[in-house]
Order: sequence, then C-alpha cells, then structure tokens
Amino acid sequence: MQSTSIPGVAQRTGATTYYIEIVPTPLSALGGKRPVLALTPGIGDIDLYVASELMEGARGVAGGFVTPERTTAIASLSRFYAMNEKIAMGDGRYEQDRLTQAIEQNAKRALLFDMDALAKENGAIVNSVMLGAIAGSGQLPIPPEAFEAAIRADGKAVETNLRGFRAGLEAARKREMTPAIGPGKRRSKATSDLAALERRVAQAPTAAQEMMREGVRRLSAYQDRAYAGLYLDRLDFIRAADDAAQADGRLLYETARHLAVRMSFEDVIRVAQAKIDPARFERIGAELKLKPGEPYELVEFLKPGIEEMCSVLPPWLARRIIAASERRGWLGRVHWGMELKTTSVSGYLRFWMLAKLRRWRPRSHRYAEEQAQIESWLGLIRAAASRSADFAVEIAECARLVKGYGDTHSRGLANYRTIEQRVIDPALNGDLPAARAIDAIASARTAALVDPDGGSLVRCLAELDRHESFRVAAE
Amino acid sequence: MERSFTKEVQALRLGAGETFHGEGILAVTKALLQSGVSYVGGYQGAPVSHLLDVMVDAEDLLADLGVHVETCTNEASAAAMLGASINYPLRGAVTWKSIVGTNVAADALSNLSSPGVVGGAMIILGEDYGEGASVIQERSYAYAMKSSIWLLDPRPDLPTIVHCVEKGFELSEASHAPVMLELRIRACHVTGEFAAKDNRRGIYSGQNRVPGPVKFDYGRLSHPPVTFVQEKKKVEERMPAARAFIREHQLNEVLPGDLADVGIVVMGGLTNSVLRALARLDLADRYGATRVPMLVLNVVYPLVPEEVREFCAGKRAVLVVEEGHPEYIEEAINVELRRADIQTRVIGKGPLPRAGEYTSDVLLTGIAAFLTETRPHGIDADAIAQRAESMLAHRPAAAAAVGDLPPRPPTFCTGCPERPVFSAIKLAQRELGPMHISADIGCHSFATFAPFSFGNSILGYGMSLASAAAVGPNLDRRPIAIMGDGGFWHNGLITGVASNVFNKGDGVLIVMQNGYASATGQQWLPSSPTSRSGSASGVTIEQTLKSLGVKWLRTVHTYGVAKMTATLKEAMRTAEKGLKVIIADGECQLVRQRRVRAEEAEMLKRGERVVRTRYGVDDEICTGDHSCIRLSGCPSLTVKPNPDPLRTDPVATVIESCVGCGLCGEVAHAAVLCPSFYRAEIIRNPTRWDWVKHSFRSSVISWFTRAPATREGGKQQTATQASTPLPNPPPQGGREQTVCGERESNPSEKGPSRPITLLIAALGGEGGGVLTH
Repeated sequence: MQSTSIPGVAQRTGATTYYIEIVPTPLSALGGKRPVLALTPGIGDIDLYVASELMEGARGVAGGFVTPERTTAIASLSRFYAMNEKIAMGDGRYEQDRLTQAIEQNAKRALLFDMDALAKENGAIVNSVMLGAIAGSGQLPIPPEAFEAAIRADGKAVETNLRGFRAGLEAARKREMTPAIGPGKRRSKATSDLAALERRVAQAPTAAQEMMREGVRRLSAYQDRAYAGLYLDRLDFIRAADDAAQADGRLLYETARHLAVRMSFEDVIRVAQAKIDPARFERIGAELKLKPGEPYELVEFLKPGIEEMCSVLPPWLARRIIAASERRGWLGRVHWGMELKTTSVSGYLRFWMLAKLRRWRPRSHRYAEEQAQIESWLGLIRAAASRSADFAVEIAECARLVKGYGDTHSRGLANYRTIEQRVIDPALNGDLPAARAIDAIASARTAALVDPDGGSLVRCLAELDRHESFRVAAE
Repeated sequence: MERSFTKEVQALRLGAGETFHGEGILAVTKALLQSGVSYVGGYQGAPVSHLLDVMVDAEDLLADLGVHVETCTNEASAAAMLGASINYPLRGAVTWKSIVGTNVAADALSNLSSPGVVGGAMIILGEDYGEGASVIQERSYAYAMKSSIWLLDPRPDLPTIVHCVEKGFELSEASHAPVMLELRIRACHVTGEFAAKDNRRGIYSGQNRVPGPVKFDYGRLSHPPVTFVQEKKKVEERMPAARAFIREHQLNEVLPGDLADVGIVVMGGLTNSVLRALARLDLADRYGATRVPMLVLNVVYPLVPEEVREFCAGKRAVLVVEEGHPEYIEEAINVELRRADIQTRVIGKGPLPRAGEYTSDVLLTGIAAFLTETRPHGIDADAIAQRAESMLAHRPAAAAAVGDLPPRPPTFCTGCPERPVFSAIKLAQRELGPMHISADIGCHSFATFAPFSFGNSILGYGMSLASAAAVGPNLDRRPIAIMGDGGFWHNGLITGVASNVFNKGDGVLIVMQNGYASATGQQWLPSSPTSRSGSASGVTIEQTLKSLGVKWLRTVHTYGVAKMTATLKEAMRTAEKGLKVIIADGECQLVRQRRVRAEEAEMLKRGERVVRTRYGVDDEICTGDHSCIRLSGCPSLTVKPNPDPLRTDPVATVIESCVGCGLCGEVAHAAVLCPSFYRAEIIRNPTRWDWVKHSFRSSVISWFTRAPATREGGKQQTATQASTPLPNPPPQGGREQTVCGERESNPSEKGPSRPITLLIAALGGEGGGVLTH
C-alpha cells in the first residue's frame, strides 16, 4: 500500500487531497517483484472517491475522477460553504441538487449521506465517519475490525473515533441517503385573539393563505391586531390586482411575504423585542448545550447612530435633529457603541423598556417613513399589475433589496430607488415595454446584490440604456 | 511546533535488519544519518519542513551521533553552512523549498561550487511544482547547470530515494562538487518502506572534532585569480568525474522493452507516472516491465553522453518526458545526438505540453500522440490513441454537469490574529480610498483571496517593503507593505527596513507578529516567545526597529479593529516623514489553542472555574446581507438557511469551531453592522458567587418574562416567534431511497494485479477532517 497527499499550504481550511493505492496481495507473495505504484490519481482510474463535503465531492466529478465504469463515490451531503458563496449579499449558495445529481449520475455507485450530522450526533470528528464509510463501502480488502484495531493502536481519542467510525460504517452499509439536516423554518404561534383576522385570511386564494396567516401573526406580535388588520387591508388591493392580472394568487403570495417583512421593519424596538424573547434564551441555551440552571452570560453588541436614536422620536423632532446632524457632518459618523448584558438585570431592563415603546411606535419618525415607502411600493405593484402579472411580481420582489440597519439599509434603499427611477418608472410611463422591464428589473436586482459598492448595478443599468437607445434608433 | 515527531524520531533510530515505514521526506532524513552527516541545516517550507522539524525533535539521537543541526534564518545562511565541506571532510546536508529557496541561496551556492568540496555536500530541494504548489513555477535545473551542481531526481519510491541520498554523497566527494536532490510534493509525502541500515558517525563530527583548522590554501577561496582556474576545473575535472561515477554506479536505469525502435527518456521523479500511463495503455505491467524501452534519469544533470548515445542508437525516435520549462534535457539530448551523428528523432515538448505539471491525463495523451507519430512496429498505435482518448472522454460532460464551482483556496484559520488587520484595512479604505498594498509571503498572503482581495504585488519572502520603495515616491498616497515576523527575519529587516530608513522612505509597514513561522508549521523565530532550547532568545522586533532608527512605531493588539483602523489612518495621514511601522501583535491562534485547550482541560479536571467564550448571531435580527462575512472572512462565520418562513436569503451563523477570538463583535462595532451579534460566556465549575448572581438574575428576569402573561390573561404577546421547529423538507428531488444501481464494470482494465485506487478530498484545518494515517 502506498499513500500520498497534497496538503496545500500545510493548512488551513482549503481542500486537501489524499491518494492511496493498495495492492491486495502481500509483498512476500509477489516473489520478489515490487509493484510500481503511481503518485498521481488517473482520470478514469479511481475505484473509490471520498469527500467529506458535498462540493468537494462534485469537484472530483468535474475533474473526471469519478466514472460510471469504476468509481464508488462516497460524499457527505453536508456543506461547508466556500467564501464566495458566503460573501454574496443575497443567496450565493451553489445549487445543492446539481451537486448531488452530478455525483450520482457519474458514479458507478454513489453513497451520499450527511457525515457532518452523523459526526455531531456521535460527538466525533467528521474524518472518523468518513473512514467508517470507506470501510463500509466494501471496496477495500480490509475488514472493519482491522480499521478499529488501528484506531485503538493509535490511542488518540479512541472512543469518539470509534463511535464516528461505526456510525459511518453503518451508514455506508445501509446505503441509504439521508437528507442533509438544516434548521427548520420557525413559524409563529396561533393565538385566539387573531381568530377574526384569520377568518379573513381563509377567504384568500389557497396559494397565499399560509403566507398571509404567518404575516398576520408576525405583525400582531410586532405591533398589534390593528396593524395586522392594516396588513390585510393592504393585501385586499393586491388581491384585486392579482385577480385582474390572472396571476393565480402568485402576486398575492409574493406581496404577502414581502409586505409582512417590510411592515415588521427593524427598528430599535424590534431589536429589543427579539433580544429578550424567552424563546431566544432557550435557543441559545440549546446551542451552547447548557445544563439546566447552569450560569452563563450573554453580551449584545449594539452601536446605534443618530438615525437609529431618532427613529423612535416624533417625526417633527427627528427630522430637525437629522437635518442638523447632516449639516454638521455627524450623520453616519457619530455612533454610541455599547455592550449590554441581557443576562444581567440592568441590561435586561433596558431592553425591556425599549421593547415597551412598541405602543408608541406608530407615532415615531421611522414608522412614518416606512409606511410612506410601503404605500409607494404597493402603488407601483398595483399599477404594474394592470400591464402584466410578471411585471408586478418583479416589482414585489424588489422589496428584497431593502433590508437591515445602518449602512446596509441605506444602501439597499438607494439601490431600490435607482431601479425604480431607471426601470420601473419608465416602464409604467410606457417608455419601456413591459416584457423588457421584467427582464431588466430581474437583472438589476441580481446586480444590486452582487457587490456592496454598486459597480454591478451601474454596469447593468448602463447596458440596459445602451440596448434601449439601440432599439429606439432601430425603430 | 505544529506536529510532534516523537514516533518519527523512533524510526530514525532503526538499524540494519529493520524496516523503516514512513514518509518520503523522513526517509531522506534517515538516509542522511545512514550517510554519516556531521551537520544539517535549512529553512522550513512545504514540502520539506518535516526534515528539519524532525531533526529538531531528535536532539538526543543527533547529539549521540555528533550531528549539528541549525535552523537557519534563511536559505542563504543554510547554503553558506555547506562551506564547512569546502575544507574539511565533513558531510553535510541542507534543505529548503525550491525554486524560491534556491533563489535566496544562489549567491552562496555559486561561491560554494566554484572552489568545490572535499566533504560530501547535499542540498535537499522540495520541488514545489504543480498541484498544491505555493510558489512561482520555475525549474531548479537552471541552477544546477550554471553552478555545476549535480541534480538528482530519484524515482519516487523509498528504496531509490534512500539509495540516491547515499550515493549522492559519494558522487559529491568523487567529483568535488555539491549535489542537489529534488523531491516533488507528492514524493515528499509518499509513504512506503525500505530496509534500514545502521546510522553512521561522520569521520569528524561534534563527537570527534577536527584537530585544528586546515592550512591556508588560496585555491579553496572563490576569489580571483583562482576562480578562473576553478571554472576550468568544473568542466575539465569535476564533470567528467561525475559522469564516470554515475555510469560506474549505474545511478541511471535502463528498462528494456521489446518495442526497440522507440524509447522514452524520463526524469526519475516522473517514472512511476509514465509506467502507470503505459500500463493503462497495455504497454507495461504493474511491476514496471515495459514494452517501450526506458532510460530513467535518476541524475538529471549532468547527462552522461555515452548513456544517451547507447540508449538512442538504433531507435527511430525517443520521447523525452521532461516536466517544466525550458526543456534543458531535450535540448541536451539533441546536441549530444548531433555530436555523435545519430539520427534518432527527439520528441518531447509538442506531444507533451511546454509548461505545467505532467499529470496522468497529460502523460496518457502525450504518450499516445508520440506513438501515433512514430508508429513503432508491433503495436496498433491508432487503437492505443483511441483507448487513451476514451479514458478521458467523459470529463467534459462531467465538468459541465457539475458547473463552475466556486474555488476553495486556503484561508486564515478561525481566530487568526492576522485577519482582523485586514478587516481594519478594509474599514480604513472606506475613508481613505484604495491604497497600494505590497503583499508578502506567509499566512497573510491569504488576504489576496476573497473576501479581502488585497495586494498589488508579491515580490518574495520579506520583500514587501522593498517592493514598495519606488511605488511611494510615484503615488499620490503612501503605500502599505505587509510583512510577517517570518519574512521580517528572513529578509525583510535588511532588504526592507534598513534600506527604507537609509533612503528616507515614507511608507507604512505592518509587521504581523504572531510569534512563529506559522505557514510552514510554526517553527521558532528569533523573536518567538520560546525557542528550541526553551527560553526566548531575547530579540524583539520592536527593539530591532528602534535601533535601526525607526521613529514612528506603534504596537497594536490585532483584535482591536477600531484601534487598528485608527492607527492605520494616523499612519497614512500624519505629516511626519519617514517609515511608519505598525506591529500587529497577536499570537498564532493554532499555537494558542493547542496550549489553552490543554490548560483548560487540566483546570476543568481540577474543578477550577473556566469561562468558555463563543460568539453567535441572532438569526431573527440578521438580515442576510453578510457584510460581517465580507469584513471578517472567518471560517467559523458562515451561512445557514433562513429559519424565517417569510425570508429566503440565508442568514449568518457561527459554527461550533468558533474559538471566541472576538473579531465578530469587534467588526460589528467598528463597522457599525447590525445588532445581531452576541457573545456567550459559559461558566464551567462556577463559584458560589456565580450561582448566587445567576439565580438572582434569572428570577428577576423570569418575573418580567412572565409578567405580560399574567397581566394580559395568558396571551403570549412578547414572543414574536415561538419555537415550533418544522422538519426541514428533504433536498429537492427528494431521493431518500437507495442509491443508483450498479453499472457494468469495464472488464479490460480489471485484473488481479491492478491496485485499488482511492482518492480522498477532505477539508484542511484543525479538526477539519484530515486523514493522517
């Protein structure tokens, strides 16, 4: 047997490859001959391809190392996201299905299961599970007992390694694919006082009902029942637009989703609510694997600026302060950094009092601003629906750009406004055909989420202008 | 050090009759001891770091053998060590990563090879070429030619490697020239076995010292006028002596084959790959019996003209398998055949690519192309070419099915003290605009990858400041040079700092002081907190800089992002002229964790209070914009599906590997990100006071938590999202059942002697899943 490896720069979260060749005959039985073993894997010459992560599994397929004639591919369904997937401003994750399909279609036999989950379940490190899967694949002339003996002989973390090894062995022998386990969606709870509102939801097209119900529950907890009622009132208009555009509830569904998010905009009150939510303490306790009653502390990192402070003031006062700060160049520069302990009495009470400002919220500056923006956005959707359902859905989707706090929020809002002025308004005025506008909005939205400095969006809109002037000239 | 070599040290003690099992580079180490070396030195770097690391761990054994080990501060000092062999019958070996290390060593190498040696002098080169390489792709061969240093490139199996080391010393002594032995990355890491011999003491060593210095002999100096004589000696005496030795001791091998009208000349290191390609084309068996005759060059420089002539005579064509550019061997063979008026065609670059690693597919294609062009008697060249083609035919479709995958380059470890510096630079750039950044060699060069993408040039180890020397005076703002403490001691102190101060430069230098040469496996540096002998050497970077006359000097703890950003802005804006140095101080987290974990485990066992810190993200508050990831780039800060049914963009999350370095919180603060980050402190073995405090706090807080419920008649109002976890839907396409059915095997490539091949892709990093045994 011979093995070699390419450990990269001796580290460090990059991919590491190992290549092993095994001659299943003892050297002594070869009559003095020595087999010549290769140090580089051959394309189309691999019996067993193993990856502890799904994308690395697919990378082997792309390199040609996994072939339907020969290769058993064992790969974990778990993902360890690459940097480029993580830094996207929206969703940069590579398509999971494409990876699994590529492995399955190119392997003689594919053994895919969630090694990471199995390792965690057994308190082991993923490589022991991977080794178990190799032993369980039946591809090697080495019995599992020999592996176990080697783990024991090595003497390092023997118990956990054996647990991981056996779990991997079982998984490979069962040859069953277990889906990758991610956190489930957390739904809001039903409460009896929302019965009247939920009856209104029940009259909506089935496709949108679940989303609307979630919205109603979210907003009544966020503000109150009346606010949830306003949500449904707003959606009534969209429902009419949906009917008129024959969108089969699709427009209503998307708008219901985004409207609930927009209406539960993130101000300091909402942050305070979330930070002292009992469910949050439970969740964190579970993540930290705390024993009941075990002491722990939570420190929150907050750094509100002038705008955040003003968001809870009455509009007339907030506007004056903001204008004055802008003149002095304080806006975006002056912040109050604080580290608060939600597990201490004083820290908790500060959040508790902030959360109590909920009743005051409708009279706040931020509330006024947000409602105006929401109305304007809904107006665009309704106007677009009279042209085409797809057009309206695209505008609804643009709500995705407006999210977050501070810089993120102002950048998103600016991007949204740019798209509104450059694409949506011209389309509604008839200067741009609706069919072109649908494509243009979708590309502009994608571009806006590519880089934080907005370069892609600028290029995308310039491209659009070029096409349009060309089209006008051609006509 | 990153690894302990206790087991490997045992293997170094093996004697005759025992079998050595282990890595290629450790086999070389053992071979050095079997050859009776008196001194060993070098500079660390993949793939040869282990040679020195294991020597450092083998102190007792080496003391017994009288071997002196020096962990040199750079390759030039390592090469200069070989000067001991110029005058004394001392065998010595040094090692480094090539091509870069050889570049640094070049001056000493020229001065060594000109007078020549009386004791065997060997340089072990880690040839960092091809997959996994981290340096410029150039060949060490040019150095062998220009300095008349013989170059060995052994077949990558342990007995041959060990044999070449032993014979290499004899060759060096027989021809009075130093010898280089190059090992590619995979050969350094290949595991195998060989029959060990007893270790030997050198004729002279630390145990048996030379009685007095050698008599003055001007001829042993590389100084005119004897340099003119030495040049002649190289070609007139040493080269012929070397060729005679190589031929006499059969260092090169001829593998006979029945297809006598053609042949392959191959660099020793590529022999196994070529034999495997031939075997896959049914032109060789699995034990190295080939149908195409082969000349295996375990010594690639110098070539032995007689061997080349004898091998090529009577053949219509030979294929030269020579990796890398330029094709020195191919040209030399052509010249040799012209001189001897032998009409054999020499084919090399053409069917084989002019540049790049000769991987298995390259060799399959190249050999098939050679055969179709030369059509040897007795085989169907077209059928063979078709066979090679069919072996690779599936790849384009497979690659298309997978698509364009994002790359996965190595990156800063979780908790790395260097990463926060780049977060600070990113933040400073928001205000100051983009800056010219001279990058350097070391872990910090990972900042050239996402999410930072910093660096306008890399000019070599410790060269960053020197490479900005002409940028500063020609740019409208100060350039920033980044250098590790490894680079600082390797070269940067003299080439960069001294030169800059001397020339009144006005740039900014950031020295990453993490205490070790971390990228190569945490070797000690002059400024390390500890050393081989245990205590610190007492040298500090701060003192060194002050004594050189650096006036503007700040030492900033790296995790303080806000402070680092402010210091950086000050350095860029200050009216003060002269070099401005920021020492970014923070111990390598890998070393720290190894120490801290052990200490904490001990404390826990003793029942002492231990606070474990972890960071987290509130997924409800996280907006899925990922600014935090773009600013931090921590491997433990990643994304997960959004648990909110109303939102689709994934949210940030901190995974279990978090070491609680605090960068998330620092960045969230310095960059004014969202309020979703929190720090959790878990108190193990709490004191009585901890209990009292905690239970008081919990009871007060739980009163408030319950309060709305009692007031508003059981209605849960504050809980925005109750936790009713729904099972995650299966991955789309929902194949939950069994896997694909088995397909028919290709019988032609099966056979009892075919080895079983395993290729494993794992993720590196601490506990990330590396299979070591």
